[in-house]
Amino acid sequence: MNNSSSTLPQHSWRVPKHFKLILLCSIVLLVVCAAASLMLGSRGVGFSEMMDGLFRPEIDSYEANIVRKRISRTVFSLCCGAALGVSGALMQSVTRNPIADPSILGVNTGAALFVVSGMAFLNIGSAEPSIWLALAGAGGTAIFVYGIGSMGRGGATPIKLVLAGAATSAALSSLVAAIMLPRAYVMDQFRFWQVGSVGAGSWSAVATIGPFLIAGLLIAIVTAPALNALALGDEAAAGLGVRTGVLRIMAAFAGVILCGATTALSGPIGFVGLLATHVMRLILGPDLRYVIPMSAISGALILTISDVCGRVIGSPGELEVGVVTAFIGAPILILLAIRSKVRSL
Amino acid sequence: MKSTHLFQAQQLVAGYDHKAIIHGIDLAIPSHKISVIMGSNGCGKSTLLKTLARLIKPMSGTITIDNEAIGDLSPRKFAKVVGLLPQSPIVPEGITVADLVGRGRFPHQSWFGGWTKRDYEAVAEAMDMMNITEYANQHMDELSGGQRQRVWIAMALAQQTDILFLDEPTTFLDITYQIEILDLLTDLNRKYGTTIVMVLHDINLSARYADHVFALREGKLVAGGTPTEVITSERIKDIFGLSCSVITDPLSGSPLVVPQGRHHVQEASSSDSNRFLTK
Repeated sequence: MNNSSSTLPQHSWRVPKHFKLILLCSIVLLVVCAAASLMLGSRGVGFSEMMDGLFRPEIDSYEANIVRKRISRTVFSLCCGAALGVSGALMQSVTRNPIADPSILGVNTGAALFVVSGMAFLNIGSAEPSIWLALAGAGGTAIFVYGIGSMGRGGATPIKLVLAGAATSAALSSLVAAIMLPRAYVMDQFRFWQVGSVGAGSWSAVATIGPFLIAGLLIAIVTAPALNALALGDEAAAGLGVRTGVLRIMAAFAGVILCGATTALSGPIGFVGLLATHVMRLILGPDLRYVIPMSAISGALILTISDVCGRVIGSPGELEVGVVTAFIGAPILILLAIRSKVRSL
Repeated sequence: MKSTHLFQAQQLVAGYDHKAIIHGIDLAIPSHKISVIMGSNGCGKSTLLKTLARLIKPMSGTITIDNEAIGDLSPRKFAKVVGLLPQSPIVPEGITVADLVGRGRFPHQSWFGGWTKRDYEAVAEAMDMMNITEYANQHMDELSGGQRQRVWIAMALAQQTDILFLDEPTTFLDITYQIEILDLLTDLNRKYGTTIVMVLHDINLSARYADHVFALREGKLVAGGTPTEVITSERIKDIFGLSCSVITDPLSGSPLVVPQGRHHVQEASSSDSNRFLTK
């Protein structure tokens, strides 16, 4: 056994190059980023005050209390980012499309429509019941888009899925607007939610999203090896013994609950899944057993950094994180679209 | 040496979207042999191969392996015995040769078992067999078409199945690489006794490399046997609608199809070719 590593040195290819270093760096970045989220904002707080706020509950200064208030928001944004990152990785794998993302496939908008409808017609204002609405909306939209995308010859090709998603998303957005515009009270309540914000991140929001995040992550990790096979095409995957239909449903289900739960609480935040996965693919290569879990970290990083940026730029108020991610994400989406034209989808 | 299997199809009807392409085929795949499915475009060659490889569910009829219906086996169990290389698999962006070959180990691995020594050995052996060990850490997009095809076959080999299906493994390759691939597959068959079933477009390459030929026309099996038995000018005319002469390949002794068009037929030809002209 002990000579297997020495006689087969060429097998280092199984683990991405410098994986341990990359993992370490991402964790350090995560900590730095969390600290920045606690310290920066419309009112900056120093390092020692942050440590007071975090570890010395007996200190009751104004700064320490600001930090305490920001803890739940930071944890919430890390959770949402992780969920969106993994959701993006899953959706890209399921559709085998490099530009798939919950927002591009319309899943976010579907969740948003249901939440806004619940708001307008059922008077549902709190997060906990609306999460189920969001999940129903996300799931329904995913099925709808997949159904539309699979019509015609050749089944659900990546390009048809994206077109179906974009069209559905546009239609649903107009419905959201149609419901909101004549209702001032819905407008008011959901103006900020609509652009996507983690500002409402409370401990109860973290507790609400937690189970969905864990369930989604677990399914994602379990399906990763089979998704690796699916990346070679449906026929090759089937030849390797993958039940492609079941796999797609499982992975899509995980992707939908991850983004649906996030959308319910923070609004439709776009592009995080897209960016998170591509950054990891670029660094780690195509092995999804690494890319999927690491997309959780990169997603958490991207969303939290964007949130901090939004708070600093928008000071004394704040710029919603959805605006920031869209600003960073849109040009990168265009770049990816141009690049992926070279590859035949 | 690979194990012997009884792989049979009975009264097989299959196709897409309720439209049958294969109309009632009975066949048995000879173990440890190279079989080629041949026929004109749209005759159902690929459909037959995909149905046998469990990619398409038959509309009626049965496919059995060692008297067990293939539909009753778990996909993983089936994938340990029967491998498939589709016609145009997808190369994930940025994948290395070794990573791609390694993905052939999927059916042998449990979710949390990780990589065993056997997995590594199977990958190393498959790469060695296809002469791609030197490219192990290179990216797929750096390789030529022929090299890439060798990588794909190595992936299928890493799966270590007794039976291997290949859907047009030589399409899009230059003639040199076509021969190279077919030689490597023959090596594989001779060395390990792997049963190979493939769809080939080229009749003459089929005739040379096949031990057994299944000739299809309009979704029906019109002949099965050795190339010498199956490939005659009458049958080629029947299957492809092409007039031709069949001579003996001076190199291999297998039948060689010389197609006859409307042009380029020598006037002062031998009586032999005149026989076909007038036919």
